[in-house]
Amino acid sequence: MKTENKPVTTAAKPKVAFFDFASCEGCQLQITNLGESLLDILGAIDVVEFREAISEKWDGDYDVVFIEGSIGDPHAEERLKKIRARAKVLIAYGACACTGGVNGMKNSFQIDEIRASVYGKDYKLFASTATKAVHQVVKVDYSINGCPIYAPELVEVLKHALRGLPYTVPDNPVCSECKLNENVCMYERGLACLGPWTKAGCNSWCVNNGNICYGCRGEVSNPAKNANDVIGKYNLKPELIKAKFDMYNKCKEADAK
Amino acid sequence: MNYHILKKDELDGFVKKLAKKMKVYAPVAKGHDNFAFEEVASAGEIALSYIPTILPPKKYFMPQREKLLDFDLTGGKPADRAVLDAPELAIFAVHTCDLAGIQCLNMVFSEKPRDYNYILRKEKIFIIGLECLKYCDGNAGCAMVGNHNPNGGYDLFFTDLGDRFIIHVNTQKGEELVENMGLAKAAAADMAALDKVREGKKQAFATEPGADPKKLPEVFARAMESKIWHELGARCVSCGNCTNVCPTCYCFDMADTINLDMKTGFRTRTWDSCQFETFAAVAGGENFREERANRQRHRFYRKFKYPLDKFYRSFCTGCGRCTRTCMAKISLKDTLKALVAEHK
Repeated sequence: MKTENKPVTTAAKPKVAFFDFASCEGCQLQITNLGESLLDILGAIDVVEFREAISEKWDGDYDVVFIEGSIGDPHAEERLKKIRARAKVLIAYGACACTGGVNGMKNSFQIDEIRASVYGKDYKLFASTATKAVHQVVKVDYSINGCPIYAPELVEVLKHALRGLPYTVPDNPVCSECKLNENVCMYERGLACLGPWTKAGCNSWCVNNGNICYGCRGEVSNPAKNANDVIGKYNLKPELIKAKFDMYNKCKEADAK
Repeated sequence: MNYHILKKDELDGFVKKLAKKMKVYAPVAKGHDNFAFEEVASAGEIALSYIPTILPPKKYFMPQREKLLDFDLTGGKPADRAVLDAPELAIFAVHTCDLAGIQCLNMVFSEKPRDYNYILRKEKIFIIGLECLKYCDGNAGCAMVGNHNPNGGYDLFFTDLGDRFIIHVNTQKGEELVENMGLAKAAAADMAALDKVREGKKQAFATEPGADPKKLPEVFARAMESKIWHELGARCVSCGNCTNVCPTCYCFDMADTINLDMKTGFRTRTWDSCQFETFAAVAGGENFREERANRQRHRFYRKFKYPLDKFYRSFCTGCGRCTRTCMAKISLKDTLKALVAEHK
């Protein structure tokens, strides 16, 4: 259970800032794409920093910060810690920030091997560490999983943060929402989908639009003990499912330690 | 007995006329042998030969997500206003297993305290049944629970007689519709043809081997500690597919959502599942059904034991959806057979 936070109460509207680390910045784009509800959001908060949308900076404390991206070098780690020190509430948003996301694939290699492949022979000039999710560096108060974030969930989490209420990321498989949307199961279509092991909360967004689930919201905390029984029905190999999961969830291994 | 006749080449006209009065929902092919009740405007869109749809027609009686009320916290005392969205609609080609499912839900939601959203919505729904002449597939067990023949719960009921449908009229609303459509009364030859169809079904729906329905209450009375639940629990994904697709599962969760003005908001209810880990979790961290084995057992008892004690009726309608949808190959019929075998 998450500890309850204090409501963000200020005389003026709460000061909210958005920061990005190693990411494609697509989750920021999701926010700018919110359309009409963006106006409602801007009615409730005062955005003081948002690199993709405004050029202003803020040198005071933040009531709420949104962190996008994973942490992959010592500079990023320092910068994140400084932001945390100035923020009352920290929200990690997007797969990169919450679970490490695709950047976690870096952790499947020896660090120098991957550095050399990216930076060439002078790779030692470029500091690089194993990819970390935000919670593996600083305390995270709220998480909005997904690649990209599911915009309605962002609005819900923001409201919870402003009211100081805990938000629990749904911990049932994506199937639980997919079935309510009455999609034809991807397995029936002959496709291996990660829905049975992935956290719901996205309203089965990908499957609704004809795609499989890639596991971007992370694995449920208590997955089926024996995946063989499940995927045996469809003649799949457990290694295939594991490999598919690694695309978004390689950083999870650092949590298990 | 009130029976009418609709020639098959007049079905399209029937559907189109009905669609002018209200929205019509019927099974539509979704590919990969999957079907879903969706809005239709003509007979050509309807899959008259279909296996049970992904979701049963309960979605029209208790929608997956339903707004119950709007609230406003602006004043000193919170204000709320009940919300009901219940348009008039018709569901066409409902199989007898799903008619039985609606009957079960009617009993549950009519109990006190009554569920007014369900009851008021039900009054607006016109139900047209369609008879199955054979088992849709090996997962179905309708004959085991006596749901392969019509047993009420509809306005009109269609049975295929080759070149025509014979329609049983069961309600005043149904009577008005067939009169309005100008459908001819059934003749003696039509009634004889219907009898013949029903006679043929006795063979087609021979009782399931290995699970005598009369013995099931006794089996379940002694199956609480069975090892079989642990076998199911070891496989279960806890995805809730089995309960979401079940025509008689009605558990829901409620949540309040506040709007961004932080003053107004609304209350919704969403289908919940006893298979979810959080379902029986309570404040303080206790979870009364923490293990998957207990949750699976609960699901079976909610079909074959508890409703029999309370409503004198099996809440398994035999549709077979839970078996078809299970990611882990948990089969309802195989589980029953195993329980019966263990009981001996």
